[in-house]
Amino acid sequence: MIERHLHAVRLEHPGHEEPEATRARLRELFPRGATRRMTQLGLLLGSVLRDLNLGADDALVYASTYAESRAIEEYLDSFPAASPTLFQTSIHPSAVQQVLIARQQPVGRFFPLTGDRQLAAHALQAALTAGSPRAILCGGEERGTWLTDCGVASAETFAFAVVLAADPAGALGTVRLIPGDEADGALALPEFFALLQERRSLRQVIAPGLTLALSWH
Amino acid sequence: MGQAAATCATLQAGTRALEFRPVLGPDGGDRVPLAPLPGRDLAETAPPDWLPAIEALAAEIPPAPWGAARHPVFVTSSNFGVGNLYAFRRTREPAHLVQATPSASVEFLRRRLGWGANVSLLSHACVSAHIGLLLATRVLAAGLAERALVFTFDFISPFVTGGFHALKILNGEMPAPYSARAAGSIGLGDGAAFAVLGRGPGEFQISGQQIHNEMHHFTANQADGAGFRACLAPLASAAAGRRLWIKGHGTGTLEAGRLEAETLARLFPAAPLVSWKGSLGHTLGSCGLVELALALAAIKSGRTPGSVGSTAPCFTDTVATESFANAGFDGVLLASNAFGGAHAALLLSHD
Repeated sequence: MIERHLHAVRLEHPGHEEPEATRARLRELFPRGATRRMTQLGLLLGSVLRDLNLGADDALVYASTYAESRAIEEYLDSFPAASPTLFQTSIHPSAVQQVLIARQQPVGRFFPLTGDRQLAAHALQAALTAGSPRAILCGGEERGTWLTDCGVASAETFAFAVVLAADPAGALGTVRLIPGDEADGALALPEFFALLQERRSLRQVIAPGLTLALSWH
Repeated sequence: MGQAAATCATLQAGTRALEFRPVLGPDGGDRVPLAPLPGRDLAETAPPDWLPAIEALAAEIPPAPWGAARHPVFVTSSNFGVGNLYAFRRTREPAHLVQATPSASVEFLRRRLGWGANVSLLSHACVSAHIGLLLATRVLAAGLAERALVFTFDFISPFVTGGFHALKILNGEMPAPYSARAAGSIGLGDGAAFAVLGRGPGEFQISGQQIHNEMHHFTANQADGAGFRACLAPLASAAAGRRLWIKGHGTGTLEAGRLEAETLARLFPAAPLVSWKGSLGHTLGSCGLVELALALAAIKSGRTPGSVGSTAPCFTDTVATESFANAGFDGVLLASNAFGGAHAALLLSHD
């Protein structure tokens, strides 16, 4: 079993807020001029990461199934004169890079994951095995337009960040990963976001050979 | 260029796989250096035309219950099925959507290859394979797996060739990694590879792994080389006493190539430095594992291919433009870089 303690939870759930409205709402969290080319997901991750004091020795794990959906849409629409800015913005893990480059915040161990049914499970596994005393697990999605209509982008916009540490003092909750031999299991990102939002405890097989025990204090 | 031993032999002969081709495939555009699999023209099909190559590669994976609880699979890529997404945008053919997201692309492969559901996906642009190797190592060290399979694939499409062309580094020149010349250029190639990692003793050991993310600029490094040092310096102490050669990232861009070569020459002054991207092209998120497979093939063959396509003057006198015998070495440092000032390096040791 691997155990870590939840020391902070930050959430953004702006519903159907459009990217420009998000930009206007969160502009003050970033250096002047930095938000002009940021994506909605980048802005939201900047919001949830802003006071977590990411340090050089921390591990950072990022999870998103669809990632930069709007940038991908606009980049594809830019052909045959491909946009260099949209190209670099469309590439995973651009959302986190937008934030940390704006803040000139280097990071050592950075694990960007993608996936679907077991994405949250494997992101938790990465955070708990990263080998750092403290890990920040963040993630989210942004609602697309024509990609969402085609079923290949998120219909919801949300972002989260949690701090996981070995120290139990003052913790909000505890996360335990228990190895086993189960052949299947799932915990996708929206379900994990709901657990955080509702502060709901859970004991569930979340991936093959991996049970999550999440409890809140 | 074929599987690792054959590709290594071709590199040893100084052959370039890169050829000038239209940057957007059948849609035309400037001619740039590309090395897709034979018969591919960047017009993605559904199912993708690279699938037989993946299945042939997967047939070489040592048998195990891959994807079961104690045998996790880590799939890495910077592209996954994005060629199909591009094709969908052009044709509106719904069949392309089956591959159009990373998770859908890997789920399709997982079913084809008969893996269980324990499959993690990692994507960190051109250090993706290194990140997969590192996470697999961590999961093994935590006792969560008996063995781990790291599988990587990147197949070029107009999505990525168009992007690098727009950034002006994929242009009308062949790449010459670490050569001091007037303008930089890269080539792009298809690549796929796998590694099986275990905890017990093996013929080769991963003796050190480092990653560092500068977060200074999307497409530029800190000008003083601090990012390269932060990643590579810890491996200099881990490699103490070993006789190394180095497979660098070396895409053919000038500033990053100079910073990388100079940092490596300071930290590892006796180690010859090679890049193979002047022949294979940059295999993007897969380059770390594709080039690891080639490094193993080079060790087994007794000869390390030189930096194909590069000529003097080079940024440092450690750059090897010709192949050399490697029997006197007992370690290899393999490095990769990516957007955002991402650095990853791996120290491979052997007897």
